[in-house]
Amino acid sequence: MSLIKEQDYGTPARSGEATVAVEIDGKRVRVPEGTSVMRAASECGIDIPKLCATDSLEPFGSCRMCLVDIDGRKGSPASCTTPVAEGMKVRTQTPELAELRRGVMELYISDHPLDCLTCPANGDCELQDMAGQVGLREVRYGFDGENHLDLPTDSTNPYFDFDASKCIACSRCVRACGEVQGTFALTIEGRGFDSKVAAGAGGTFMESDCVSCGACVQACPTSTLQERSVVELGMPNRTVLTTCAYCGVGCSFKAELRGDEVVRMVPYKDGKANEGHSCVKGRFAFGYASHPDRQLKPMVRERITDPWREVEWEEAIGHVARRMLEIQAGHGAGAIGGISSSRCTNEEVYVVQKMVRAAFGNNNVDTCARVCHSPTGYGLKQTYGTSAGTQDFKSVEKADVILLIGANPTDAHPVFASRIKRRLRQGAKIIVADPRRIDLVKSPHVQAEHHLRVRPGTNVALINAMSHVVVTEGLVDREFVAERCEDFADWERFISAPEHSPEAVEEITGVPAAELRAATRLYASAGNATIMYGLGVTEHSQGSTMVMGMANLAMATGNIGREGVGVNPLRGQNNVQGSCDMGSFPHELPGYRHVSDDVVRGTFETLWGRVLDPEPGLRIPNMFDAAIDGTFLGLFVQGEDIAQSDPNTKHVSAALSAMELVVVQDLFLNETSKFAHVFLPGTSFLEKNGTFTNAERRINRVRPVMAPKSGKHEWEIVCEIAQAMGYPMKYDDSAQIMDEIAMTTPTFAGVSFAKLDQVGSVQWPCDDAAPEGTPIMHIDGFVRGRGRFVLTDYVPTQERSTRKFPLILTTGRILSQYNVGAQTRRTGNTAWHPEDVLEMHPHDAEVRGIRDGDTVALTSRVGETGLRVKIDDRMPVGVVYTTFHHPVTGANVVTTENSDWATNCPEYKVTAVQVTLRHPAPAGMV
Amino acid sequence: MTSEPTTVYVPRDSAARSVGADQVAERIAETAGPGVRVVRNGSRGMLWLEPLVEVATPAGRVAYGPVRPDDVDGLLAAGLLDGAEHPLRLGPAEEIPWLRDQTRVTFARVGVVDPLSPDDYVAHGGLAGLTRALSLTPEQVVAEVTDSGLRGRGGAGFPAGIKWKTVLGAASELKFVCCNADEGDSGTFADRMLMEGDPFTLIEGMAIAAWAVGASEGYVYVRSEYPDAVATLRTAIDAAYERGWLGKRVLDRDFGFDLFVRVGGGAYICGEETSMLESLEGKRGMVRAKPPIPALEGLFGRPTVVNNVLTLGSVPMIMAAGAAAFAGLGVGRSRGTQVFQLGGNVARGGIVETAFGVTLGELVEGYGGGTRSGRPVRAVQVGGPLGAYLPTSRFDLPMDYEAFAAAEAMVGHGGVVVFDDTVDMAAQARFAMEFCAAESCGKCTPCRIGAVRGVEVIDRIVAGRDRTRDLKLLDDLCHLMTEGSLCAMGGLTPMPVRSALTHFPGDFGATTEERR
Amino acid sequence: MTRTPPHIRMANEIAVQFRHRDPAWAAERIAEHVRAFWDPRMRSMLVADATGATDGRLDPLVLAAAALLSPAPGPVSGQRSSS
Repeated sequence: MSLIKEQDYGTPARSGEATVAVEIDGKRVRVPEGTSVMRAASECGIDIPKLCATDSLEPFGSCRMCLVDIDGRKGSPASCTTPVAEGMKVRTQTPELAELRRGVMELYISDHPLDCLTCPANGDCELQDMAGQVGLREVRYGFDGENHLDLPTDSTNPYFDFDASKCIACSRCVRACGEVQGTFALTIEGRGFDSKVAAGAGGTFMESDCVSCGACVQACPTSTLQERSVVELGMPNRTVLTTCAYCGVGCSFKAELRGDEVVRMVPYKDGKANEGHSCVKGRFAFGYASHPDRQLKPMVRERITDPWREVEWEEAIGHVARRMLEIQAGHGAGAIGGISSSRCTNEEVYVVQKMVRAAFGNNNVDTCARVCHSPTGYGLKQTYGTSAGTQDFKSVEKADVILLIGANPTDAHPVFASRIKRRLRQGAKIIVADPRRIDLVKSPHVQAEHHLRVRPGTNVALINAMSHVVVTEGLVDREFVAERCEDFADWERFISAPEHSPEAVEEITGVPAAELRAATRLYASAGNATIMYGLGVTEHSQGSTMVMGMANLAMATGNIGREGVGVNPLRGQNNVQGSCDMGSFPHELPGYRHVSDDVVRGTFETLWGRVLDPEPGLRIPNMFDAAIDGTFLGLFVQGEDIAQSDPNTKHVSAALSAMELVVVQDLFLNETSKFAHVFLPGTSFLEKNGTFTNAERRINRVRPVMAPKSGKHEWEIVCEIAQAMGYPMKYDDSAQIMDEIAMTTPTFAGVSFAKLDQVGSVQWPCDDAAPEGTPIMHIDGFVRGRGRFVLTDYVPTQERSTRKFPLILTTGRILSQYNVGAQTRRTGNTAWHPEDVLEMHPHDAEVRGIRDGDTVALTSRVGETGLRVKIDDRMPVGVVYTTFHHPVTGANVVTTENSDWATNCPEYKVTAVQVTLRHPAPAGMV
Repeated sequence: MTSEPTTVYVPRDSAARSVGADQVAERIAETAGPGVRVVRNGSRGMLWLEPLVEVATPAGRVAYGPVRPDDVDGLLAAGLLDGAEHPLRLGPAEEIPWLRDQTRVTFARVGVVDPLSPDDYVAHGGLAGLTRALSLTPEQVVAEVTDSGLRGRGGAGFPAGIKWKTVLGAASELKFVCCNADEGDSGTFADRMLMEGDPFTLIEGMAIAAWAVGASEGYVYVRSEYPDAVATLRTAIDAAYERGWLGKRVLDRDFGFDLFVRVGGGAYICGEETSMLESLEGKRGMVRAKPPIPALEGLFGRPTVVNNVLTLGSVPMIMAAGAAAFAGLGVGRSRGTQVFQLGGNVARGGIVETAFGVTLGELVEGYGGGTRSGRPVRAVQVGGPLGAYLPTSRFDLPMDYEAFAAAEAMVGHGGVVVFDDTVDMAAQARFAMEFCAAESCGKCTPCRIGAVRGVEVIDRIVAGRDRTRDLKLLDDLCHLMTEGSLCAMGGLTPMPVRSALTHFPGDFGATTEERR
Repeated sequence: MTRTPPHIRMANEIAVQFRHRDPAWAAERIAEHVRAFWDPRMRSMLVADATGATDGRLDPLVLAAAALLSPAPGPVSGQRSSS
């Protein structure tokens, strides 16, 4: 396989009904109105030379390589900035144009190093290509003139160099930073010949606002902005298309390799989730996959106090099977279980739940989605009938108002955040409901219309008040409700009650009533209003209630079932959606079908040849409780560091210590493996062959760029354990697993690796009725028939500030790190976030005598940890914030066992804490 | 017995101030006492006579000049206030042949009125144009401007009526009128003199434009080098608001128009209309590609009229006197008057407003009186630093957009800069490239790199190493910059270079054969 | 400090969500929820605790729901396969 190069049409596609017919070099082509001559030419196979144009950016017209000849027009207009007109006749190749293009190129090369042969971009340089294309043979100006060849290289970014001596001042990087990423960190400094790209106010890239998303590197037509890996390893020579394994955006990437070595990850333009964009994690932070910390051989030990012993696969698998069977023999079939990982592929997850249900013979399977988005599955199923978001990402381009609740996309879902920001620059409005002043409240070219600074734990009161305003101010979409929904009358009566009015809940939520009313009117009167939310919604004692509250609000205003609207979870991990789809929950078989459903169970029983348990199994917290009770003693954990990521670390540790067999399958030894008896080396996404399903239900292929470093695919390991336990389970490859999923699960009926390889990706449901998948759900009716209004009483969490614990701790993510940090801490990303810090409002710090940079003790009723303080007025008074990327922080030492009433999703977002000064910051540090 | 004080006019124009007008005014006020009212008028445009002092007498305004502060006592003693004889006496101002022979339309009030007196403005025919315009429909106003044949005075000569019609036809609840007062061309000063000498005319012209196209906001973008013009405009705008000439109800009609002054940052390129719009939006002054044209997507993406000071300043007269009066002047497709600015090495520099069609020779030799140095004229650059250098053999050229274009030259903003026979035309050509290199916004390649290479190539030509090859290269470069540049800055830079090569090849040490 | 047994804590947390609803209706919803999501062992612990001496640790709505849950849990009503 060679390098894949997407076609670059030069300027973005225009959408619109009206089309225009033009003739280019004698070829007739019909394109949407507003399309550039350049793009129209490209669409009929004519490539016009270009340097400053690329189809991810609006035309700029600076390089003057793309000049063309148009009948009836004076001079030589630039084809990138000239829109087509009906009947236009264009010539792209004439001797005159050839001379002009050669003249431009001659100027460029007169100020460019002549080191093509030793340049890292040799062979992947548009300047080089164009010089060849226009037939430049000499530079008559010579090379003694004024030039920029002595400009220094900025190597401050850990992943890429900025070699100013090679810059052709095309502004593609500057424009990409603004138009694609929306950060506006780059600019052009100076004018005329002195024009040069500058990061921020003339400092280095690292000193600037640069978020290292790589858009500038991607846009650069030369080697000016170049991945350091290419400088060091050389140009890659083959491409494997795959999917990023970080967040739930699910960006498509081209893994570009030399042999088996990944040289760089390049965002894939035809990937529908990201359309050629990326963030610092997916683009650059893949080095963990080849980190020396990776444990590549299986290990076994009798007791967790024993040293590890590396063993062969056969011994490890035999050991696991034997010990599991022994536990079952001694304590019953239900004494063991497994946890699947949202980091793994659909196929890997499917075999884990199959192993538990068929080989273990129980339903004790759960997934790490338990601790993040289980309320989403519950809430949206109750109201709409399907446990997933309603839209595709692209839909936001049609939204007029975005209601963002409890999500911080610029840090946690950066590539989608860029889409949001672009839409905001086009004039859409955003309402942010979040205790923190996140970047989407205010940052360059972003200004939220309303920031509803809701107190942690009071979301339901907030959403109820919004619905109250809708109902009492005549903002209900009566037609939609009458045609499409049920139980509205009861709900209307409920929500109209005065206790839900903004004025009544102002004291609870802290959101001024007038602001809430104004925000609601904006949401309800927009043409298209969409709700986006994250773990700030789900990780609460009323997470499920809040999801249903949002679903109610969207239905009441008719914001469901078309582009630009909907209710959309931003999933934390790459395959949260998929791991839930695959039947990882103890009460559901694949496709969200209850284990008690005889027909569904029958399908699997026939295929799997085992009788399945019709009763729900244990959820993760129940497993821990049962372990402490002595009734649950064997656990298989796939790719999740529960000892670090689950709440109330002390309780989790006690539970793990009480078990007789803990099997950890992971890339690295981690907090959980400290309690493990068997360690099974896992595979990184670069070794996996399968699919991930992102937050928009998009099933993307994950293709291996190398064989498993451990010698076995994760699904093979699971199958072998099942086999060793006496249950025959075997697949030739992971495609067969998907075939089985498609065979058993109606929403996946049309999915196969062959289909995905052919069309790129599909969004479930994908079946005979929708062979290409379903970007927008509930268009003609809700999946459950009618959308159901659910009464959503606000019940305060039991976790509240007290005299002893007067502050509320809430948690989240930052851009450069990912979850427990197992991966990102093993990459250059530590340059941005070497440690977790505690963000605190200046007032809260002042009354405690705490200064910026001091180390403090963070104490809750269950535990204590230490952190450095960052004083930041983006926090409201009374709320502190931290991340959980570093194990040394142990943020979950302090979080409690409180959880969502319906799903037991932990209440990570609300913990009553106290903060006290431990060590002042060393002098000079602040 | 009390009598009306005598009115003495001393210009406030910065050209007059630069040669001591303030001191002259002070000295007159101090010495003459309460019997004198000193009015600081605009300049009549006879810059070699500044400070030009005028005294209102029953027989009209009598001019004296140039008056130095030291001359004041003597003048007063000699009976200045009565218009008495004196060696500096020039006679009735409007009888001075240089002025008498002009056709002042746009500049009719400049030098005559007190620029900051709304009453004076109205007394001299101000507001007649706006009043009439508001009695017509916008379509009728646009038609009138179209019929007048008024073309953009900034240099490009685009018909103002057509531009206005485009803006009028564009659907948008917000439209703008922007006045380009970033007068950066060397040897041009008419915009400044109008703003300093008769700011209400510009304000009125912009209000008419706003009415005609449906705009509600206007901006005057003035270069930072014109602090006096900025101050004068701001004061005049305040006065216009007080009088109800601007604001929510202009002249008490259901028409609102707000006007603001914005000051540039010293970049020549911001005189290019799209760069100016970028700068007005608070961005880096960088040229935008067209389309979209500003008339459809201009300031903040809204339909926008962008016109030069002189264009907008001509509109009140057109509306007051009717299109036919304006169209009756001029030649060919160049209708009305142009405000020529004589500068450089010229004996009598200043403002010559006259109908199109006057010849270059009449301007330079007639009005200008040849060089100030007394040496023979060798070259004249018309139309600013990007205009062509013309030899005396082309003094027959009529000032007319099309005639100049045919001669590979341009009328531009009407600047005429005179050089005597000591000029080195290779150095002037080099200067054109250097100017472009210094002032290029840096966006397009031909301008950004080409101008720097142009300087280098001209140096090599002059050094004479491989002249034939380098002349060919320069020719190719000029062709590339003309055809390939994004805006007129790079596109016109070759004009002075090529005209110097064409008309003065000897200065480059080249024979005609070598150039071909 | 003695920890409240998880099944009691969780049942009470569910009940409190339905406190403002009609008690009979609420009890049905709670029973439905527990039947659908709890494993049988936890469910029988709840039923056992509800029928024994409750010492006031269980919400009255939970007691009512528990009555609906006993004796043996059957297939969950209203749960059908859906896409």
